[in-house]
Amino acid sequence: MIGQVLGHYRIDAKIGEGGMGVVYRARDEFLHRDVALKVLSKGTVPSDSTREYLLHEARSSSALSHPNICTIHEVGELNSELYIVMELVEGKPLSTLLAGEGLPVESVLRYGVQIASALSHSHGRSIIHRDLKSSNIMITSEGLVKVLDFGLAKRSEKDLLEGATQTIGPLDTAQGLTGTLQYMAPEILRGLETDHRIDIWALSVVLYEAACGQLPFKGRTAFEISSSILHDLPPQLPSRVPTGLWAIIQRCLAKEPAHRYQQAGEVQAALETVQSASKASPPASPADLRGPLTTVLRGMRHLTVKNGDVLLLVGTTKGAFLLRSKTSRSSWDVAGPYFHGNAIYALNYDNRQGRHRLWASTHTFWGTFLRSSDDFGKTWTNPQEANVKFPPDCGAALANIWQVSLGREDEPHTLYCGVEPAALFSSPDDGETWSLVRGLFDHPHRPRWLPGNGGLCLHTILLDPIDPKRMYVAISSAGVYRSDDAGQTWQARNSGIRVVHMPEKYPEFGQCVHKIVMHPSKPERLFLQNHWGLYRSDDAAANWQDIANGVPSDFGFTMVMHPHDPDTVFIVPIESDQFRCTPEGRLRVYRTRNAGRSWEPLTRGLPQKGAYETILRDAMTADSLDPAGIYFGTRNGELYGSIDDGKNWKKLLGGLPSIVCVKAVIVGEPHAAAKPRATAGAAAAAHRPKRSTANAKRRPAKRR
Amino acid sequence: MSVTIHIPGPLRDFSQQRGEVQLPGSPATLLEALQLLFAAHPGLRDRILNEDGQLRQHINIFVGNESIRYTGGLATHLPATATISIIPAISGGQ
Repeated sequence: MIGQVLGHYRIDAKIGEGGMGVVYRARDEFLHRDVALKVLSKGTVPSDSTREYLLHEARSSSALSHPNICTIHEVGELNSELYIVMELVEGKPLSTLLAGEGLPVESVLRYGVQIASALSHSHGRSIIHRDLKSSNIMITSEGLVKVLDFGLAKRSEKDLLEGATQTIGPLDTAQGLTGTLQYMAPEILRGLETDHRIDIWALSVVLYEAACGQLPFKGRTAFEISSSILHDLPPQLPSRVPTGLWAIIQRCLAKEPAHRYQQAGEVQAALETVQSASKASPPASPADLRGPLTTVLRGMRHLTVKNGDVLLLVGTTKGAFLLRSKTSRSSWDVAGPYFHGNAIYALNYDNRQGRHRLWASTHTFWGTFLRSSDDFGKTWTNPQEANVKFPPDCGAALANIWQVSLGREDEPHTLYCGVEPAALFSSPDDGETWSLVRGLFDHPHRPRWLPGNGGLCLHTILLDPIDPKRMYVAISSAGVYRSDDAGQTWQARNSGIRVVHMPEKYPEFGQCVHKIVMHPSKPERLFLQNHWGLYRSDDAAANWQDIANGVPSDFGFTMVMHPHDPDTVFIVPIESDQFRCTPEGRLRVYRTRNAGRSWEPLTRGLPQKGAYETILRDAMTADSLDPAGIYFGTRNGELYGSIDDGKNWKKLLGGLPSIVCVKAVIVGEPHAAAKPRATAGAAAAAHRPKRSTANAKRRPAKRR
Repeated sequence: MSVTIHIPGPLRDFSQQRGEVQLPGSPATLLEALQLLFAAHPGLRDRILNEDGQLRQHINIFVGNESIRYTGGLATHLPATATISIIPAISGGQ
């Protein structure tokens, strides 16, 4: 096979062989990447139905996208040979690391958490591994777990019990006993119905094996092993293994599936608890009492980030997730959830003056706090005092922080945040101190502003890149306000925007504006998604024109500006305020490329049936690469992305809590919104990432 | 003669990991007791009260077994020996 070409894969070297077939390192000649290519031996796939089943399983497994699962790129059949193309994982199987007494407890926990996380992800998508064992868990040199062969080992239990066919190796060969039988749950051996809990059993066998180097159930023959699995309790682990870990293993090895942890996520959480207990932080010294605490997040795999990488900051109602990709944006590492259980309504990345600071607004019933991280999430500040709060004379109390925005490039220490109840705060000193912008808070309109469904919130802040004194805010439900004197005074700018919830249809203020966007090369022009209505203004928000031309609904929440083209805007129409879902169950992004004269649906790769999704106002974003990456998250916790200006879409991640905000940033790149403009063309070019040897492969940016 | 406050798990980062804090002196009201608590553990203040001085919406405080919502709120009078519990309300999760 070496040197041969299978499809568009050139086979370079053999890297392994198992019962299922031979694994080669191969070169994908189309995408110019190295992959692992598994060619299934004919003997393992005896019948057409098994073959179809295997193809089906492999295809569904290819939908799995998780940092701890070896990604399946393609499944195919060529010259009657089945092959599977997958991510090339450079590492060692866990089984080869277990010689002697097993691994240090810390490693067992670290790997266990990642394996459980992989299982939790796949079980959430109804994919059962069915052949989890230490030899198909790879450990990379960075300590990252990659679980191989998801869903590939399904076979009928009847076949197995009769010893007729097994994907890994026949039971009755001499060395066959080292196969998978040792990892099989009792219900398989009994010929009973099985479900995802067989993976929880197998995970525990792996944990046991990792902890002491021995399998929990042994025997000289298949009969003895089966008998031990069915009847014996696992032998006590050595005393160096914490009782917490031993308890988890025992519970997963309950003979009755109903007595085990029922979900892999529960095993993961239990392992994490043992992990944090074994590394509890020492009590704070009295000197630490008043300064902000630093929360060190242990037991979580964090991102390794390089300059030029694309980061997606994803805020959900139950925590934040960070995704990282190279500029190719072909695969994403995922870390999180950060701020377990907190609602994260705003995230941002401050890279002015060489900083790498993430900001997060975190909200629980214990209050709302702005927290920052200078190491991409490994540690976060945890302020003693709420950093954003209303002055005592206001009679107002902070309910949430909806937006964190950066000041202009020439004010590198300035930050803004928009909050609920509607108000603007600014910080002159990198978020050390915050003060209420009184000009807006004391506006005579404010007592007559009305809260919308999301409360009365100031959710959008736009700085004019040319006029340093001009800025805009958008408030639900009050409308757009503009200041031309750096926030001292504010004027309502809603002329032409219709309201449906008041008797007067075109009031001066009171509009429920959901989002406004502006391109830095054309700051006098703004686009607006209203509670009902799509609008454009060509005169700095003085007047607005309806641009809902050819959209299935002009109701919606989110709106995103194209990073390079001031005529291109993306929205996701929602059926109505009564039924806040995508119309007809079809998930369609709409794009205008002529500043709203017409809109076209973008659907390729997005579900067009039964997709009742809601995309909230800050849940769509664009990166600044060319072609642009557009990303959005849904209230159902699905995250989609396109890397070609919206033409083709792919689900990047699913099963998250409700997604509230998504923000794409390029690591190390000057922040787009903060850059002053020299000329229109130069400004657009300046927002593209710097060319460097690291990303020289990307095609040159076009001038528009 | 002592007043003890039970600190819930999520707030222990701000009480030097203590689940129980014994207050000095003899506070006459719940508010006085909380002020003594906040003086020793300033990170607790903004997590229990908002900037308006009100108890946060989804947090309950009990003196003994009585919710202070029915005994005078923060002005609730304390007996000489009291156990105060700070507990998130069941309505807090969404």
